[in-house]
Amino acid sequence: MKKILAAVSGFGALGAGAALAERTQGGVAMLPANSALAEEVHFFHNWILMPIITGISLFVLALLLWVIFRYNSKANPNPRKFSHNTLVEIVWTAVPILILLVIALPSFDLLYKEDVVPDGKQVAIEGDGQTVDFVFPNNFADGRTVVRPRHVEVYLESSSGFQKLAHRADYRLAGLGDPEVVVEFETPPAAGDSVVIRGGRSLIGRGDRKQIAMAPTMTIKAVGRQWGWNYTYPEYGGDFEFLSDLLPEDQATPETWLLDVDNRVVVPVGETIRVTTTATDVIHSWAMPAFAVKIDAVPGRINETWFAAEREGVFYGQCSEICGIRHAYMPIAVEVVSRERFCEWVGEQQTALGVERTAEEKAAEPLCGSSTAVTRMADAADILSEED
Amino acid sequence: MADAHAAAGHDAHDHKPSFFVRWFFSTNHKDIGTLYLIFAIIAGVVGGAMSGLMRWELAEPGVTILTAFTNQSLPADAQLAAAQNFYNVLTTYHGLIMIFFMVMPAMIGGFGNWFVPIMIGAPDMAFPRMNNISFWLYGASGILITLSLFAPGYGAQLGFGGGWVIYPPLSANTGSPGPAMDLLILSLHLAGASSILGAINFITTIFNMRAPGMTLHKMPLFAWSVLVTAFLLVLSLPVLAGAITMLLTDRNFGTSFFDAAGGGDPLLFQHLFWFFGHPEVYILILPGFGIISHIVSTFSKKPIFGYLGMAYAMVAIGFVGFIVWAHHMYTVGLSVNMKAYFVAATMVIAVPTGIKIFSWIATMWGGSLEFKTPMLWAIGFIFLFTVGGVTGVVLANAGIDHYMHDTYYVVAHFHYVLSLGAVFAIFAGWYYWFGKMTGKMYREWLGALHFWVMFVGVNLIFFPQHFLGLQGMPRRYIDYPEAFAQWHYWSSVGYAITIIGMVVFLIAMIDAFFIYRKKAADNPWGEGATTLEWTLPSPPPFHQFNELPRFDRGDAKAF
Repeated sequence: MKKILAAVSGFGALGAGAALAERTQGGVAMLPANSALAEEVHFFHNWILMPIITGISLFVLALLLWVIFRYNSKANPNPRKFSHNTLVEIVWTAVPILILLVIALPSFDLLYKEDVVPDGKQVAIEGDGQTVDFVFPNNFADGRTVVRPRHVEVYLESSSGFQKLAHRADYRLAGLGDPEVVVEFETPPAAGDSVVIRGGRSLIGRGDRKQIAMAPTMTIKAVGRQWGWNYTYPEYGGDFEFLSDLLPEDQATPETWLLDVDNRVVVPVGETIRVTTTATDVIHSWAMPAFAVKIDAVPGRINETWFAAEREGVFYGQCSEICGIRHAYMPIAVEVVSRERFCEWVGEQQTALGVERTAEEKAAEPLCGSSTAVTRMADAADILSEED
Repeated sequence: MADAHAAAGHDAHDHKPSFFVRWFFSTNHKDIGTLYLIFAIIAGVVGGAMSGLMRWELAEPGVTILTAFTNQSLPADAQLAAAQNFYNVLTTYHGLIMIFFMVMPAMIGGFGNWFVPIMIGAPDMAFPRMNNISFWLYGASGILITLSLFAPGYGAQLGFGGGWVIYPPLSANTGSPGPAMDLLILSLHLAGASSILGAINFITTIFNMRAPGMTLHKMPLFAWSVLVTAFLLVLSLPVLAGAITMLLTDRNFGTSFFDAAGGGDPLLFQHLFWFFGHPEVYILILPGFGIISHIVSTFSKKPIFGYLGMAYAMVAIGFVGFIVWAHHMYTVGLSVNMKAYFVAATMVIAVPTGIKIFSWIATMWGGSLEFKTPMLWAIGFIFLFTVGGVTGVVLANAGIDHYMHDTYYVVAHFHYVLSLGAVFAIFAGWYYWFGKMTGKMYREWLGALHFWVMFVGVNLIFFPQHFLGLQGMPRRYIDYPEAFAQWHYWSSVGYAITIIGMVVFLIAMIDAFFIYRKKAADNPWGEGATTLEWTLPSPPPFHQFNELPRFDRGDAKAF
């Protein structure tokens, strides 16, 4: 009974139950999502595709059972001889087309969200008690400029906390689509308060959790090889490279054997992370189900994808393109940590790996360097969960 | 009904050649069909045994079974490596053997050769000697793939273990420098040449040798399905041949078509492979569509519903099958617009496929259904193919495929359409035409028992694999994390049940030939069986239709 309950709840939204163990004995659902994007993938699968395909299968089964019971030779000894019915033929051509449209529209939306690396950015401007117009530079690539009110989010950081403002009620927008978008406040923000404006077209997340995804703050490069992964963090030093191999069976727990590695990929929570992949010998595939990410590592090519983890923890994936005899033994483990812990880890690694950094280089390191602006998805996520 | 009374061989005895000439130099479409069926049965046993070894190994976590098949004098780690290689070899050759040496020979070589000429009222195939060459090229191809199993691939490891898709660089010198891959390439060349010759033969036969008055729109659907399949073969196999030839020269003659270091691109191979590979999966299932149409009509005692829609749905599936190939490549790094196109094109296939499913049900609607063994397999096919089809719609969405790609969800999907689709269609055709081909009837309850045991078995194998895929279990893994153990166990139990089903099949066949020995009537299925093969004796004479059946009087149809 427990298993059935797990199965039923498994098809539901998993966002809330994300603290459950990832891979479970007898589990029937997708692995818990750890990003707003993965939750959208789950929603599309669990609440659009699953009901449709289950319905179609049961409908066909019901029709078959009906003809079996109603038109068997005992029940219906004299067969009818019709072989055409224009109306039903039109219906069973047209209705599937409509069903496919219902699937296709959210499918394209999801695909573009997954494949277009977000380019959102934020500016923070101090209020002075008088200024009511705040400028957001709308200098995105072609076709990516901010043109709709939903492409802009405005937050106010004050002594009473960080708060999301409402379009029309708290501010109005002028110059959408122009090189400069102006956020016009009704009442000027107080001196010392900070106005945080975010703009961009990648709106990720469902319902209340939808927000503009920021451009990647850092990059990890995963290089597949027979049989393990090399990771580099280009922004943290040219020599910032380490090997990541299967954790031997005697060091792993029974639950993590074949999943855990000796050196995990460490990333900060909340940040948009760019992942680039390539390979040195044969094709491998970097897969991380919790983020709904899978991208092949192809020799001679560099592929790109992205994710933004929502909570801390260790998440596992496994090489997903056959690559030789030890294909099953080159897992991927991502450890999501706080920004502070991430920067500590970067420092430790730089020391351990002997990465030489000048003071300017150190200062320019994303997230950790003293001169880098911090753009954190996590802030908004925290606020939204507090609002709940 | 056509006046095919002249069809029965009035000639009291057929002038059959001596055994050696008859079976080794054969130019008779029925004998060649029989040879293909025997070939397919042997390949099916080998390919099935390979899947048995895989399921045995996967029944519990850890590398537990396959080390027993390695050289026991080696140290433990070398045995483990050999077992890991053996597992990959099993997945690779299981796929290749089942596709190229079981389903294709059974459906096209076997049933196609046997029944296309008869159904269209022709005395034989258009090019009987080419038919013979086709078969024996298959034999040579079978020998080469067998040799490849025992030749070194990666280091001293035997066989090629890179999956049936043979992607370079794993299939190039980087991943498999040994001769196993070269032998495999040559085997595929011969199999491809054989299939192209066979396809040319079918196209020529169907276009030129239909009985007088049998227009294409009066032709039985099985002949239609083989016609569409033959076009797919002729158009797709040369692309595979080109790709593997480039692979061969990359391996042996210093070219770098697929080697990035030399200016080539590994993804070029994938595009070429799937331009062949996607039509190939329709090649595997389309003849099954034809078989199922005849069986459903026969045992409903009702004409096929929407005949023209059924025929052109197959044409549409064949056409669209050529423009969806990159949905196998959503994770390789295609541009997002290209993926969006392939998502849209792929979903289109659901429409003609839906027309077929609903037309089969409409054929049964209002009929007088008899649940003889072929009908059981056909109804099982319709439902299970639907299940495999709808999971295909799921996978068509690139946004979902980024999660599902290369997991067991994909394995479950394509086994539902092939192992539970194409194979069910083959068994349906086998029981449907067994009496016609052999002149003997099988025992009905044994056939039904075979169906039910196998229905339970294969569903138990493959349904839990959806769950494994949803949980992220990748394919082609010899070992897996503990959490996947339960579903793998049940999947292996399903395999054991399937084996029992195959034993029942074997018993049913031995029984039919040696114990039951019931003579098959010309038409054992009654009024519903209307195609030309049922106007001939069982088995048909060595040469049929000395006087051609005619369809040019009135509105006689051949289906």
